[in-house]
Amino acid sequence: MKYLFFLFVGVVIFLSCKKDNTGYTPEPYVLEIPSHFPDMNIPADNPMTVEGVYLGRKLFYEKQLSGNNTMSCGACHSPASSFSDPNQFSTGIDGIQGTRNSMALINLGWQNFFFWDGRAKTLEEQILGPVPNPIEMHQSWPDAVGKLNASQEYKNLFYKAFGTTEIDSTLVSKAIAQFLRTMISGSSKYDVMYKYINGMSLSAEDQATLATVTNDEWAGYDLFKSLNGADCFHCHNGALMQVNKFSNNGLDLTFSDIGRGAITGLASDNGKFKVPTLRNIALSGPYMHDGRFSTLDQVIEHYSTGINQSSTIDPLIEYAFQGGVQLDSQEKNQLKQFLLTLTDYKFINNPDFQDPN
Amino acid sequence: MIMKLNTYYMLLILVVTLVSCKDDVVEEPTPVSDYLKITLQPVHGANNLSLDDTITTVEGYKVQYTDLKCYFSSVKNGGNTLTQAGLFDYKENGTFLLQDVGKKADYSSLTAYLGVDPAVNHDDPSAFSNNSPLNIANANDMHWDWNPGYIFIKVEAKVDTIVDGVDNLNHFVIFHVGTDAFIQNMSFSSLNWQTVSELLSVLPLKLDMAKFLQNGAQTIDLKTEHTSHSAAGQETLSLKVIQNFKDAISTY
Repeated sequence: MKYLFFLFVGVVIFLSCKKDNTGYTPEPYVLEIPSHFPDMNIPADNPMTVEGVYLGRKLFYEKQLSGNNTMSCGACHSPASSFSDPNQFSTGIDGIQGTRNSMALINLGWQNFFFWDGRAKTLEEQILGPVPNPIEMHQSWPDAVGKLNASQEYKNLFYKAFGTTEIDSTLVSKAIAQFLRTMISGSSKYDVMYKYINGMSLSAEDQATLATVTNDEWAGYDLFKSLNGADCFHCHNGALMQVNKFSNNGLDLTFSDIGRGAITGLASDNGKFKVPTLRNIALSGPYMHDGRFSTLDQVIEHYSTGINQSSTIDPLIEYAFQGGVQLDSQEKNQLKQFLLTLTDYKFINNPDFQDPN
Repeated sequence: MIMKLNTYYMLLILVVTLVSCKDDVVEEPTPVSDYLKITLQPVHGANNLSLDDTITTVEGYKVQYTDLKCYFSSVKNGGNTLTQAGLFDYKENGTFLLQDVGKKADYSSLTAYLGVDPAVNHDDPSAFSNNSPLNIANANDMHWDWNPGYIFIKVEAKVDTIVDGVDNLNHFVIFHVGTDAFIQNMSFSSLNWQTVSELLSVLPLKLDMAKFLQNGAQTIDLKTEHTSHSAAGQETLSLKVIQNFKDAISTY
């Protein structure tokens, strides 16, 4: 009896002091950030994990997030178009089109605001928008989450990623945000040119790429950076090929869409839109917030001769008074050749970014 | 009876064991630091200046500033360094210039560069820590990759230089001054740090844009002097612009 008593006490002590074995052991995700990029700020309440990234990828391509189970996030952000929509306006599940072109999803971990008008300040906040939007996926979050909660597979995946089987919109957005933060583009020919110009070390592969840069591509890069050339660098600069700002780039004299002004309520912001990255620009057309230009040639022509000088035009468009920078045909071609160096095929073909379903 | 006592005994041990295995809660002392913050308030003469305010220059020009930014760096008092760099961005961050750990008793005077210390001006802007104003993600459009280094000061405005009573702000002013040649030394003495809380003191500075344009004999006529990117051929105006900007900064 005494033996049994001490055995019992020993078992109790062992069990009570043993850590809980829940099966929730997420593995930290290590981002592969190019050497010439800054570190990425990850929100403290949404650390990157292998399980979270995988779940986010699956959700990104999950059609059950739409009201009629036909449309996923990937429908308007397809890999072949550098995760944008090749159509001027995307069509939602009810056949309704929006009024703005779908933005390319590239290097979002370094963005300070989202949507063309910057109305979302975090990636997690941005992701909450399209699902209930009546002209996009048109499904309430409770309904979307209800579908996911009915799936044992998703319950398992959420448990592995977040330690809970109680799925909600916050966790959905966190998972997708984790996935989107992995979508880093830094392997274009431009990246090699950028590193070379800035005296950064080049790998053997980089050296081989550098040897393929043509004279026209270099000349286009010079024009791109030249105050008296194409003068693009004020808004498209550095490794990320953009600055975080809103700008009126001279599209219109009057505005049918006031853009940022609708968010801030400031007349001085009317006609301003988020400056997009130029990475993969050859793949992400049509161009501008309303997708009015279908080709790069049209875009170049706009900045060359088509600038409209309205009250809120960006002062950095210094040659607005003469309609633009007035490039000749050779310069336009060289600038286009440079813009094509921004294409990153490794990025769009990365198997980790494709539909896992 | 013995069985019953044993059961109670076992239950007692069970409870004691469970309680004793609970993680101890250790009260960590909260680290305490004194912080010093410097603000920069744009003014036009006696009045605070907001972006998009329309002001009138002595020549009668109408001016609407759309962007005001600058870097302070190597902010120190002798051997005490307050911070490596601070970035003033009026549109995005209001009057905030910098904040770092320090005791006001150590900083009765300050010296700083207006601009970015040449020792780091040409470093890889991606290599600074995430919270550094010099990190490219924070510098944003205050870094040139075509002329590697930081823009020290940025003044952008829309102006009407035709004094006819009709406001037509269609004349652009762009002053982007950088490169080591234009770095400016600043000094401030007899500083009056204002205690905001037990741990935070603030030094308010002002940037008088009226003085920026009318700095004694060194005036800037926006009709003819409206663009500088610190490029070749723009040295004279670049130097005047950054000197006037420096002279426009003072304590209250």
